[in-house]
Amino acid sequence: MKLNLIGLLFGVAFGGVLAASNLHEYDTIHAMLRLDEFDVFWFMASAIAVSAPLLWLLERRRVRTPFGGDLVLSRSKPEKHHVQGGALFGVGWAIAGTCPAPALVMVSSGAVLGLVAIPGIFLGLHLRERQQKSGAHVGDGEHRETVVVPG
Amino acid sequence: MFDLLPDRLAWYVGGPILGLLIVGLFAIANQPLGASGAYVQTSGLIRRMPNVVTWRVWYFVGMFVGGVLVTQVLREGAEIRSGYDALRDVFPLWAVVPLVFGGATLLGYGAAVAGGCTSGHGMCGTAQRSPASLTVTATFMATAVLTTLALRIVTGGDL
Repeated sequence: MKLNLIGLLFGVAFGGVLAASNLHEYDTIHAMLRLDEFDVFWFMASAIAVSAPLLWLLERRRVRTPFGGDLVLSRSKPEKHHVQGGALFGVGWAIAGTCPAPALVMVSSGAVLGLVAIPGIFLGLHLRERQQKSGAHVGDGEHRETVVVPG
Repeated sequence: MFDLLPDRLAWYVGGPILGLLIVGLFAIANQPLGASGAYVQTSGLIRRMPNVVTWRVWYFVGMFVGGVLVTQVLREGAEIRSGYDALRDVFPLWAVVPLVFGGATLLGYGAAVAGGCTSGHGMCGTAQRSPASLTVTATFMATAVLTTLALRIVTGGDL
C-alpha cells in the first residue's frame, strides 16, 4: 500500500517537472529533434549527470532499499532487439513529437490530440505483448526482474 | 489558476530534479522510473490481467496529476487546444490525427521491443551505465533526428 502512494508521489513529481519544462509540447520536442534548441538534450544529460554518480555510490555502499532488497544496478549487454526497438521508437517519437510520460502531461495541459497519442502508445505496446506473451516488466528499462515488489 | 511558475523551467533546474527523483526511486524500491512500464501495468489492470504491479499504475495516474498541477493550478491554466499547431499548419486535420496515432503506435511498439523508452532507457538506464540502455538511447536519438530531417525535406522545409 505504501508503495502505491510512493508511486503516485513520484508520478506527480515526474509529471510536474516535465510540465514545468514544457516537455509535453510538440514544439519543444520538435525544436530539439530539428537540432534548433539543445535544452532537452541538456535536461536529459544533467539528469544523468546527477543520478549516475549517486547511484554508483549507493550501489557501492550496498544500500538496502525498504521495498526492493539490496540496491543492484543493471548493466545488460546490448542485443539486437535493443537496436530494433530503439530505431522504431525514434521514428515514432519524431512523428508524434511526444513519448509515454509527456503524452499524459499533454492531456493534462488541455492538448486534445494527446487523447489520440495515448491510445496509440497503448496499442503499440499491446501489439508487441501479443507477439511475445511475456508482458511482465516490459517497458521499465534496465532492471533485474528477480526483485519482487509487493503492491 | 495561479501564475507561480516561469513559462519554462530552465534545464539546469529541471534536469537535476529529475536526476534526484531517479535516485530516490532506486533508493526506495530498487526500481527505475520507466514510463512505458507504467503503461504496460495500467493496460494490464484495465484488461484484468494477473500480477499487475499496482504502484506503477499509481505512477501512471501521478504523471497525469502532476501535469494538471503544473499546467492548470500553478500556472494560469492552459486552454483546450490541439497541441499540434505546427503539424496542423502543414497538414490538414484529417492527416494530423492518423499521423499522431501512427507515430504513437510506432513508438509504443518500439519501446516494447527495446524494453523501455526515453525515461526507462534514456535516463534511468544510462544513469546505471547500462550498455543496453546506451545502445537504445543512441539508436532512438539518431533515428528521431533523421526522421525529423526527412519530414522537413518532404514538407519542403515547412516542418
